[in-house]
Amino acid sequence: MAARVIPLHCIIPPHMLREIAKRGDPDQQAWAFRTLSLSEQLRGQRQVLGMFALATPAGAKRRTIYDARHGEELPGVLVRGEGDPKSKDPAINEAYDGSGATYDLFRNVFDRNSIDDRGLRLDAAVHYGRDYDNAFWDGRQMVYGDGDGRLFNWFTKSIDVIGHELTHGVTQYEAGLVYRGQSGALNESFSDVFGSLVKQCKRKQKAERADWLIGKALLTSKVNGVAIRSMKAPGTAYDDPVLGKDPQPGHLRDYQDVDDDNGGVHINSGIPNRAFYLAATEIGGYAWEKAGRIWYLALRDRLRRTATFQRAAEITFHVAGELCGKGSKEQKAVRNGWKAVGITVK
Amino acid sequence: MKIQFERTGGVAGLRLTATVHSGTLSPEEARKVQEMVQEARFFELPSTLLPAQPGADRFQYKVTVETKERRHTVEIAEGAAPPRLRPLLNWLTAKARQ
Repeated sequence: MAARVIPLHCIIPPHMLREIAKRGDPDQQAWAFRTLSLSEQLRGQRQVLGMFALATPAGAKRRTIYDARHGEELPGVLVRGEGDPKSKDPAINEAYDGSGATYDLFRNVFDRNSIDDRGLRLDAAVHYGRDYDNAFWDGRQMVYGDGDGRLFNWFTKSIDVIGHELTHGVTQYEAGLVYRGQSGALNESFSDVFGSLVKQCKRKQKAERADWLIGKALLTSKVNGVAIRSMKAPGTAYDDPVLGKDPQPGHLRDYQDVDDDNGGVHINSGIPNRAFYLAATEIGGYAWEKAGRIWYLALRDRLRRTATFQRAAEITFHVAGELCGKGSKEQKAVRNGWKAVGITVK
Repeated sequence: MKIQFERTGGVAGLRLTATVHSGTLSPEEARKVQEMVQEARFFELPSTLLPAQPGADRFQYKVTVETKERRHTVEIAEGAAPPRLRPLLNWLTAKARQ
């Protein structure tokens, strides 16, 4: 991220303010932080203040929901902070609850304190743009559109999309998978995997019971389709005169070497998605317990920025061996999952 | 004037396309498109406009404008589109959704 010059007009030098923000009592911390934040340019520039001023005690969420009011300026108007009562606006509540559920999954199952594992604030803006049929992660926060109302509903409607966006943040802080080609497709897949796990965990669903669909609630009834993606059966999520046909491959032989979509990151994610689905269902039980842990540890500790599908297969296989034992049922399931989509672990 | 438009990426990974021939538009629309292309200073844009920040699930646009005299293609990452280009992108997106 580019460095910015932040004009600070106070007698206490910035380095001292940062120390107070880190080590003072709560009142001193709040004062130091406010002073550091005087410049409007700091609003949202969390990377400058780094981990200390905005760190929360372990286990504490800090959700901040904004309303972009159909504009494109971020973050927008603050509408709901952590602990604030429900809004009348369902999009605000969905962003709040979905971020909470994602935080809870990462905390309770993977022992991770927010996106950066240091209690980073979870910021989201809803009502972004006009007829904006998308949600994205901008490197610092989640952003959700309202859809066009004809083909797409508003984008906080699917909790797995919320989990998907936040997982891009986790990936950014961990493996840093480059958002292009195979590493980009893996990046996308991790977001679908953990997005789906947030949904499955909320519904207390075992792997076999889950629908393994992403963004089911996003499509209106006018669309001939069930979701934007299927992890179980890539390529079958929709077939619509306007949207087209779901282009996802479910096997390496059908990998799409295209120029658009950063080399088809949302297309080729079907291959690792299906590998996860197969491994998780072969293992059985709740998908987040074994398969989810294996995938999380691979993302956190082993995968590099330029990882390929082959590397991901090898790494998840080895992590499975370390976590569950060499030759274990879980390790076999991981190997089988990748094999079925055309990637062989030696 | 002929415009080829393509939008890919986004969380849903959809591919939206449109081809616009000014000859098939009403006179007001054709004039409006001409104005938007001029407003955008389209032919002076670099061939790629990349985002300043990391991000995920943003759109990628590819626009080719062709007149009798010249032809120019620009690939734009959402977030890197200058404000003067946005009306044209929005109009083309709406056309592609029809």
